[in-house]
Amino acid sequence: MPDIIIEINGLTKTYGSKTAVKSMDLHIRRGEIVGLIGKNGAGKSTLLKMIAGLIHPTSGELHFFNRASANGQSFFERMGVLIEQAGLYSHYSAFENLKLLAIAYGLPDANTQINKLLKTVGLEDIGSVKVKSFSLGMKQRLGIAAALLGSPDVLLLDEPINGLDPQGIVEIRALIQELNKNGLTILISSHILEELSKIATQYAIIHKGEMVEVISADELLHKCEERIELKLEKAEAAIPVLERELKIADYKVFDANTLYVYDPGAEIRQISKTLIEHGVGIDSIYKYKQSLEQYFLARTEQAGERHA
Amino acid sequence: MLNIFKMDVYRFVRNKTMYILLLLFCGFQIFGTFMLQQYSQEAEQGGGVAVNRLNASEFMQYTMSQTPSWMLLYITVFVVYFYISEYQSGFGKNYMSMRRARIYTVFSKMLISAMFVGLLFLTLLVSDWIGRSLFFENTTLGDLAFFVKLLIGQFLLHWAFAILILCVSVLCKNMLVSLIVGFVLALNIPGMLLSALESLVNGLNISQYWLVNTLVRIKDFNHAGETIQTLAVAIVAMALFAAIAVRYKIREDLN
Repeated sequence: MPDIIIEINGLTKTYGSKTAVKSMDLHIRRGEIVGLIGKNGAGKSTLLKMIAGLIHPTSGELHFFNRASANGQSFFERMGVLIEQAGLYSHYSAFENLKLLAIAYGLPDANTQINKLLKTVGLEDIGSVKVKSFSLGMKQRLGIAAALLGSPDVLLLDEPINGLDPQGIVEIRALIQELNKNGLTILISSHILEELSKIATQYAIIHKGEMVEVISADELLHKCEERIELKLEKAEAAIPVLERELKIADYKVFDANTLYVYDPGAEIRQISKTLIEHGVGIDSIYKYKQSLEQYFLARTEQAGERHA
Repeated sequence: MLNIFKMDVYRFVRNKTMYILLLLFCGFQIFGTFMLQQYSQEAEQGGGVAVNRLNASEFMQYTMSQTPSWMLLYITVFVVYFYISEYQSGFGKNYMSMRRARIYTVFSKMLISAMFVGLLFLTLLVSDWIGRSLFFENTTLGDLAFFVKLLIGQFLLHWAFAILILCVSVLCKNMLVSLIVGFVLALNIPGMLLSALESLVNGLNISQYWLVNTLVRIKDFNHAGETIQTLAVAIVAMALFAAIAVRYKIREDLN
């Protein structure tokens, strides 16, 4: 697939006897915003650090920009990175911190880019203030500016809205969406699932160092949207009744006895009456709506049970 | 490589610690010359060196042979501070993903160390000249060729020590631990231990090749063998500690 720009196959990282990331697979397409979901210590930061080239995988492969590369060093330059706290010198100003990075990148129009970025992240008035007097939110903004310096193709953000006030969260969300519109691929982790759900186009659920599920925003929306769940004697037997008698096309057979109806016009009373009339045995029928949090918890719980 | 070096130079010239260290060094060096003057007569009467009659080369050799070497302590403080401040702030993570950045950053810090050692020697020359002219009324340079050879030899040895401290900092990743190890090295405790071990084994004489021992020993740079030994010790130490630092940096996980 030509538009896959980061390909992760069987990536593993162990620290002594502890496995932080276990045989992870993930394919990231150009222009996506991939939200990494997982509890503290699930392995999100370790995964991001391996993608950023900051830590070395114990095993597995990382391919960047459609090129199989055993040593991806040359491709890392096209990534902007903000992992955990922003790496900044507290005794330098915001401008000086960015200036240092611009020198390291060899940017020809450094001052112009820096001033533009400081404006973008809302720090244009305090560019000359030393970072030691910054709040956590301001440091995060500066960290995002540092990650964006040099116009990267991919942005790796680990908990970027940590410490931001509500207005800051809205501004950073808008910035991420704007950057994404301009073609930037973004890999972002956050504990605030509601916030992720507003921007992500793809979700990767991580639990205890393992990739539990990779799911698109559309699929997730479908899974989380309001549905009627039917527990039947035989799900197959209900299909012709739903299609012919009730004219319901938006449904999904989950397993041999379970069927989900997504049609917003469908009503429980009508479905149950029609199915009974046609001799389809119903064990239960109810409306169900799941939030992203509930979905995440359910998936990690299932993964936990598998581990046990 | 050049860009990372330029970045480090930007930090270097704005580094207040560096200027403070140089000022302190200058002040203490002049004060040290004053103290030498106070005790020079007694020392001379007791059969010691007539410090007031030493030329620039001899005076430099004399002061450098006094342990602990203050220059090594200043080098330790600067190198540890310069490397660890970047490491602990996490700033390095911003650019460490770039191609060969891990190698270049070590080489860049080595060059910055050389710049600091160079400035330290410049300060030494100025402060020695001030001190000797003020307290001994003696500013004779002596043999210029010897003086230049002495400067080059000592510069290389001190730079090699700076690279050793850089290597220690890369491995320890902690300011306090690196400073302690640096001070132990500057006080030449390993050299003393090595000499003590040698005295237990007949015919063994390797301590003369230990970097700090070579550094504090009074050398005759008009003697080719001694010049070669000095240069060899400096170059081997530089290559060895630079290789260890680079190798570790490449493999290091930046958590």
